[in-house]
Amino acid sequence: MTKAKVNIFIFCLFFLTEANLNAQNYLTKQFDYAKKLFNNEQYFDAITEFKRLLFFDEEGTYKFEANRFIGLSYKEGAKFSDAIFYFTLAEMNAKNDDELFESKMDIIRSNILRRTTSHAIELLDLLETDKRFSQRIKEIYYWKGWAYLFSDKWDDAANYFSQTDSNKTLSTFCKEVDKNKYSSSVAELLSIFIPGSGQIYTGHYLSGLLSLSWNLLWGYVTINAFIANRVFDGLAVGNFLWLRFYNGNLQNAKNFAEEENLKIVNQALNYLQFGYNGTKP
Amino acid sequence: MKKIFISIIFLCTISFPQENNSSAINLFSPINTKKFADYLFCQHDYLRAIEEYNRYLLGTSSDSIKFRIAIAYSKMGDYKQSIDEFMEVPEKSQLSPLAKLEIMKSLFQSGNFNELRNYFNLKISNNNFNEKKEAKSLYNFSFLFTNDSLPTEHNFYNAFHSDDLNKIKKFYNWKKDPPEKKSLTAGILSAIIPGAGKIYTNQFWDGLWAFITSVGFTYLSYDNFHAGHYFRGWLFGGLAVGFYAGNVYGSAASAQIYNAKIHFDFVNDLKDFLESHNYFIPVINFCK
Amino acid sequence: MKLFIIILLLPVINIFAQSDWIKWGKADYSYQIKNNFQHRDYSLNKKNYERFLLKSFADGYWLLISDVDGDNCSFNPTCSNFFLQSVEKTNIVQGSLMFFDRFTRDMDIFGKVGHYPRVSDGHFYDPPSLYLMNQDSIKYLPHSFVLKDE
Repeated sequence: MTKAKVNIFIFCLFFLTEANLNAQNYLTKQFDYAKKLFNNEQYFDAITEFKRLLFFDEEGTYKFEANRFIGLSYKEGAKFSDAIFYFTLAEMNAKNDDELFESKMDIIRSNILRRTTSHAIELLDLLETDKRFSQRIKEIYYWKGWAYLFSDKWDDAANYFSQTDSNKTLSTFCKEVDKNKYSSSVAELLSIFIPGSGQIYTGHYLSGLLSLSWNLLWGYVTINAFIANRVFDGLAVGNFLWLRFYNGNLQNAKNFAEEENLKIVNQALNYLQFGYNGTKP
Repeated sequence: MKKIFISIIFLCTISFPQENNSSAINLFSPINTKKFADYLFCQHDYLRAIEEYNRYLLGTSSDSIKFRIAIAYSKMGDYKQSIDEFMEVPEKSQLSPLAKLEIMKSLFQSGNFNELRNYFNLKISNNNFNEKKEAKSLYNFSFLFTNDSLPTEHNFYNAFHSDDLNKIKKFYNWKKDPPEKKSLTAGILSAIIPGAGKIYTNQFWDGLWAFITSVGFTYLSYDNFHAGHYFRGWLFGGLAVGFYAGNVYGSAASAQIYNAKIHFDFVNDLKDFLESHNYFIPVINFCK
Repeated sequence: MKLFIIILLLPVINIFAQSDWIKWGKADYSYQIKNNFQHRDYSLNKKNYERFLLKSFADGYWLLISDVDGDNCSFNPTCSNFFLQSVEKTNIVQGSLMFFDRFTRDMDIFGKVGHYPRVSDGHFYDPPSLYLMNQDSIKYLPHSFVLKDE
């Protein structure tokens, strides 16, 4: 081969590779552009550009990344069902175990935020038994902790957090929340025996005393009527007044305990969202 | 060697045009923008599709794209915008008759029945318009949604094909003579027999309870007066009057609620019927 | 398998597209659980004598009796609130008639299901606006309807 022929050969090879690189470059450029929008928190537009990337990416090079970023964008907009849909598409296009695990975790975290925690726990149970992810068991436990915490099962959450090395603080925190919560069954039980005492247990003193007074009054009138052989009066007052206030007493004991617990839980959740520095759903 | 050399030169000639074809590489070229917009449109991702179509229209003019933008707005329930966009379709365009029908549909769906009739009278009825029958269907149906006087039966029915005529006749007859209950009748019935007015308005159990409370408290009042317990007599008597008068009032109110219910059901049935017939205008499938 | 899942998911895409029919941004999402516990409005309007007197009685009834005897009214608004709203919208006579009618309907334990729409907490939705004897004020809702908040 003459020198001129060799030069032409190299020249052509250069253009061939350049052409292929350019074909890849426009997809990479599009991906970078969409990601830039995502990083700038322009999530709606980011989704448009990731969709454009997916539409023109005939070979499916970016199927995992683009679907995942669409999911993450929807998640930032609190559109968790849409997010889960695209995370599922990302999962189906995962190229290795790491990507598979990431997308499964994205689905689980969105389920936690959507408060479909029972589904999140089911998925975490499946991951726990999957041998491919045995090295990442602590991560699985960590998210189980969050799933239980969002299910208002603070004791279970504490147990799972205690099995992850770095998060003893979360475990202690969850135990503390569980300890601070009122037991609605205790409140009800107290009010069964002494009307109003369940309300007093949850700090609702006026309601507790009023409840006790009404029950004492109507109880006295009812029993007195029966003692005086006024059975009709006894039945009427007992049924329409004493029983009514007694039931109200039980309802209030339960409701007050639940309402107080909600305040405690919301305070804890608020801290976890804004005060806690670790990874969050 | 010569063969290899020729092959390489040949490959180069293939790869160059591909590389220089900007539409294959520039995702924002007009052709690619339109392709992507069409895809979004067919995915029902209308807002994004509109953005892309508008970008495409910056470099060119297309009645078909304007029409699609209007359809997208209509599908999203933004009827005001869809009407504005359909208006953009020029008179001379082939899509103009369809755009007019779609304007009527949007006016219909947004409940602007008077505007719909004005539009029909102004733009369609006196003009040479091939789809006049479809437009007349919507025009006629608008009368079933308002309290304006209905067109004559002949005028109403001649806008429709025979297939749906029976169903349409039912709607027309219902509107002409709705099976309403009269408040006055309900009130009088309850004044004669407590609760009867409620039963007349299809509230059997409410009627029964009204009867029990009115009669029950009247009896208790009578019984206490009879036994010399005047305070209790007056108390139960007052309650009996309250329950009796409340029931007469409630029966009249119940008739109004009954009427509101049957009108609500009628409008819903009618809307379902119209939806299933695409408001009697041609369906264009852009996503075959 | 993947193809099967894609086929299953296809109809869902169209539903999801609807969430993008309005341009949205980053959401202000809160971890906290919404507090749905209802609290009474005990405030008094001293400017209106009739309203002040009526509301004082209602406040007293709520504080001493209604709040202590449990959730006995299956309606929303409750019978006492219905009475207050009815008097406010009409007058004491018409409001009382509306209240007696409501009280009778409250006692009816068989006819409520399949008649009234519900509020998210399960109570039957029955506002005074339905009983003002004004056809235009009736905003009819079917019994299958569930109101988010009232």
